[in-house]
Amino acid sequence: MTKKRMTFLKELLPFIGLGGRLRLEWISSAEAQKFVKVVTEFTEQIRNLGPNPLAKTYGDSLDSLDLAPAPSEATGSGCGCGCSKAAAGA
Amino acid sequence: MKDKVRDWLETGKVDLFLGYKQVDGHPLPHAFSKENLAELGELIVSPARYALEKLATEILAIKPALKIGILGRDCNQRAVNVLTVHQQISPGQIQILEVNCCPSPLRKHAACSTLQPQTYGAVKLELGVDNNMSVAQMDQFDQESLYSRWMYEFQKCLKCYGCRDICPVCFCKECSLENNDLVATGGLPPEVPLFHLIRAVHMAGRCVDCGLCEEACPVDIPLRLLYRKVNGIVKDLFGYETGGSHEQPPFSLLGESTPPEAEPHSKAV
Ligand code: SF4
Ligand code: SF4
Repeated sequence: MTKKRMTFLKELLPFIGLGGRLRLEWISSAEAQKFVKVVTEFTEQIRNLGPNPLAKTYGDSLDSLDLAPAPSEATGSGCGCGCSKAAAGA
Repeated sequence: MKDKVRDWLETGKVDLFLGYKQVDGHPLPHAFSKENLAELGELIVSPARYALEKLATEILAIKPALKIGILGRDCNQRAVNVLTVHQQISPGQIQILEVNCCPSPLRKHAACSTLQPQTYGAVKLELGVDNNMSVAQMDQFDQESLYSRWMYEFQKCLKCYGCRDICPVCFCKECSLENNDLVATGGLPPEVPLFHLIRAVHMAGRCVDCGLCEEACPVDIPLRLLYRKVNGIVKDLFGYETGGSHEQPPFSLLGESTPPEAEPHSKAV
């Protein structure tokens, strides 16, 4: 079920411009090396994609459309609205 | 048409018939019954559409013994299929009297004026998503452009829940869109794109492409296009034809594929 859902989501997210930020792996507690490899690879992959656009508030998302002055560099450490949500994959 | 409805009611093929009646110039859903056959003169067929099968399902939840006829198009038939697959109604509880149909990738013929392509303003075309676009046309945009275009659309949302309320296949007793653990409820603006993504994911294996949500949306968000993508994926990945199939959809079943002989399942999967 998880596999089906994740495969589905992997196809859906690129449609709204959030592709490449989702990955599913089965790693047992005995597979430390695989864990390191996967996490390193994935970290590299999302670092190359840059900060998650979701990290900005939706108000700011309009800035990327050049409607208003550009916001200060997004840090990718939260959504910026004062809530405690951490930015996924930033 | 009227004779047929009269015949259905008189012979007891159906106990109630849901159609439309003109009230003060508006075609409104109306239930015709054997007791009020004279009213049948006011039954009208027009391009106006409503999810009559949704009303019928709600009536059947209270009075399961009834047999209900509805005036319907192909989208209504697809919705009835989905409602049956998801065990909201039993086969035969709803009978459809078919009228002319609308264009949809699921059925190409005929015309339903409510779904004619519309023209949109320059700002929406430049920054947002043209509701007339196809999934293939959307794929021409790069990721950054897709993201800002969809966010332009989503951030207009008023969270009126119109899309959910009109949807013939939104039948859950507890709606995820009202679950505070999943998406902020109560206040405005809604959490985007989460709100719309939750709905999109839940339409996998369900949305019958009737387009009522998009028609209902006061801010013209191209919802139908989003759900077309969703069920395009379901078809590509699992070979499941939403609305046409009488088998369980892939996300209702455990395991990698959908076995032809589906076991009854719990709805909470
Ligand atoms: S097009 Fe919209 S209203 Fe119709 S079934 Fe799909 S989600 Fe529901
Ligand atoms: S109908 Fe449109 S504005 Fe209303 S909740 Fe749905 S997407 Fe938002």
